[in-house]
Amino acid sequence: MDNLALILVEFVSAVICFVLLRFMMEPYRATGEGRYLGLPVGFALLGSSYVFMGLNLYFESCFSEQLRWVQLFAQAYAFAFLAATYYFSKKPSQHSRLWWALTYAGLAFAAVISYLVVFEPPIMGLPSYKTVDEYFRMFNIICLVYISVYALRSHASQSNSGTIWFPLGYLLLCFSQYSFLLWSVDSSYSAYLGGHFLRVASLLIFLFVTYRVFYVSWGASKWEGRLDEETPP
Amino acid sequence: MKKLPRRDRLKIYGDLLFTLYSEAKKESLILTRVQLKIGVPFDRLKRYIVELKELGLIEDEVSLRLTEKGKQYLREYETVLDFMKRMGLAYR
Repeated sequence: MDNLALILVEFVSAVICFVLLRFMMEPYRATGEGRYLGLPVGFALLGSSYVFMGLNLYFESCFSEQLRWVQLFAQAYAFAFLAATYYFSKKPSQHSRLWWALTYAGLAFAAVISYLVVFEPPIMGLPSYKTVDEYFRMFNIICLVYISVYALRSHASQSNSGTIWFPLGYLLLCFSQYSFLLWSVDSSYSAYLGGHFLRVASLLIFLFVTYRVFYVSWGASKWEGRLDEETPP
Repeated sequence: MKKLPRRDRLKIYGDLLFTLYSEAKKESLILTRVQLKIGVPFDRLKRYIVELKELGLIEDEVSLRLTEKGKQYLREYETVLDFMKRMGLAYR
């Protein structure tokens, strides 16, 4: 795959993330619960990580080093924010308010420090990008496994088959990270291509489900039918 | 007895609107039935109803019923809850 195609893939991924970002605000807007802010923050960081990767491919020589590091951090913090949101969503908000506030503040602070380190490297310089990239990929996989298992358990506790798609999307995103890890270890080109393919597939699944929920399945008739049920959701 | 998780006010508003909407289809609205469905004490239920009236989400002509604004709010609220459910997110 040539550079232009890779830039296009990064661009498409970023656009999907930024479209999803608008809908990820909705849980926070509807519930007023700050613990759901991790969703828009996570998708914004994920989208920006693809933008940085695209820019890195476009400007091959200048800023390349910094952009690669920024992309690495943005992606890792994106998955950390998403995992934290899933973790705190199961806790009653009254008991966990302090903890999620501290966690989000800690992650935001760590993100700012990380970006500062990239542009103002410490005196001994940054470690090898390849090694750090592998550690970050492993961290991303751990976050995504946690989110996938959490979402799958939630799916298993419900009778609705429509709830399988988001966990499936997270699993694909997890396999995508695993493919990039393989590529980093053994430079396998098929793993590299597979990683991109799986990532776009997972983002398209998220987009498809979001579109269905907000624009298709909740037409007036279905809504009326839903309200015929006896108990509140 | 299973302990109900604590809910914030928005969730209680959502549950109350949902119940009022489905109860409004029946012959008469019985507040005790609404109270049992959403699981709040009667004095708090009356307070929530007053608050929802002030927000223009329900009206009280012959019996309590949702205004167009209330139906719109409930529709959007339900959509977001469905989205969260599909994402695998809990809302407690």
